[in-house]
Amino acid sequence: MKHRKKGLVVWIAVVLALLAGALLVGSPGRSESVQETMRDAVLHDVNQVSLFGLKAVNPGLISAFLITAVLLLAAVLIRLLVIPRFRYMPGRFQMVLEEAVGLFDGMARNSSPHRNRFMGAYIFAAGSFIFVGTLFELLGLQAITVHGHPITLPAPLSDVNAAIALGTLSYLVILSGGVVSNGVKGVGRTLKEFSLPISMSFRLFGALLSGLLVTELVYYYVNLSFVLPVVVGVLFTLLHALIQTYVLTMLVSMYYGEVSEPAEPKQKKKKAIAKT
Amino acid sequence: MPLNIDWQQILLHWMNLAILTGGLYFLLYKPVKDFMAKREAHYRSLDEEASAKLAEAERIKEERQAKLDSADEEIRQMKAKSQQAVQKSAEEQLAQAQDQARQIVAHAQMEAENSRERVLKESQRELRKLAAQATKQLAFHADPFDQFLDLAEEEDDYAQ
Repeated sequence: MKHRKKGLVVWIAVVLALLAGALLVGSPGRSESVQETMRDAVLHDVNQVSLFGLKAVNPGLISAFLITAVLLLAAVLIRLLVIPRFRYMPGRFQMVLEEAVGLFDGMARNSSPHRNRFMGAYIFAAGSFIFVGTLFELLGLQAITVHGHPITLPAPLSDVNAAIALGTLSYLVILSGGVVSNGVKGVGRTLKEFSLPISMSFRLFGALLSGLLVTELVYYYVNLSFVLPVVVGVLFTLLHALIQTYVLTMLVSMYYGEVSEPAEPKQKKKKAIAKT
Repeated sequence: MPLNIDWQQILLHWMNLAILTGGLYFLLYKPVKDFMAKREAHYRSLDEEASAKLAEAERIKEERQAKLDSADEEIRQMKAKSQQAVQKSAEEQLAQAQDQARQIVAHAQMEAENSRERVLKESQRELRKLAAQATKQLAFHADPFDQFLDLAEEEDDYAQ
């Protein structure tokens, strides 16, 4: 009991000391207005980051590369260290992995029973990218812009280019399913849903951007930076991650199943001549 | 481009997603799926094995039951046969006993008849003898009637 009280006192003292320090040190001052911040969050035309010194790109692309690197590194480690030790009676981590793979595999099988191998792999990758990419903004990793300002790396899909890339790639995957299964008829079926790439791209962009804008707005003002980010930042981001992952993977698998469904052979029209 | 859309960056995102898809497929998705399929096959084979063993056990049970049923029938038949044999033997013994009894009775009757005839013959002989004595007495003594009575009493005493 005494130890717990002591710990509580130490914790409160540390929090108060950090608060006092933050207030005393002060801020170097705002480099841009809230309007500029919000505009740049949408367009990314000012605060760009150099891609290995080759080209100035949106910070979302750097985030995307980082996420891919982290995911692949984790996959390599899991492949080398965890998967060889898989047992028939799974442990906790094995269950999480099997649940994740089984979830996307099951989604692919249910939505497209005829052809689902590639689609399962694609929605697994896309789902992982969206989920981890959305949670990535919680880390608040810093990068230096080409102008020398520090910025926080955003979620990749809050960059319109990433959203368009994912939306159009998903559409191409759907198209490929249609072509492989039904040839020209599959192309026709896919082209019927011509609004799909736009809707998928801008759904992702809008959803992620709205989260980013709210977060930017909250963090812009120091007074709003206490307690509120716990709700706005963590909970909303988690919800976003889950919802956007589910929506995109579900849509892709559903449309893929629809266009790759084998066409039923046309029944010959019976000459129904009434003899009466 | 409006909204700062940059086709080069879109292509870079595509490349990034292609790398991610391929990498995750070969490093994670496929091995985990393969393992799950392997485990499913393992448990399916165990299930099939158990089903086969169960079916075999059912077959053996039915076989045993059939054997038990046939053994019961056999026991019942043997029991009936032995009962019949016992009954037959008892009947034979009874018939033999009855036959023996009949023989004994016939023998006894025959012996009784013989002894009766012998006694009768002896009695006749005695009577003849007595008659001869009585005649003799009558012929030589005064009161033959008294002598006859005396002789008869003597014979009576003798017989007792």
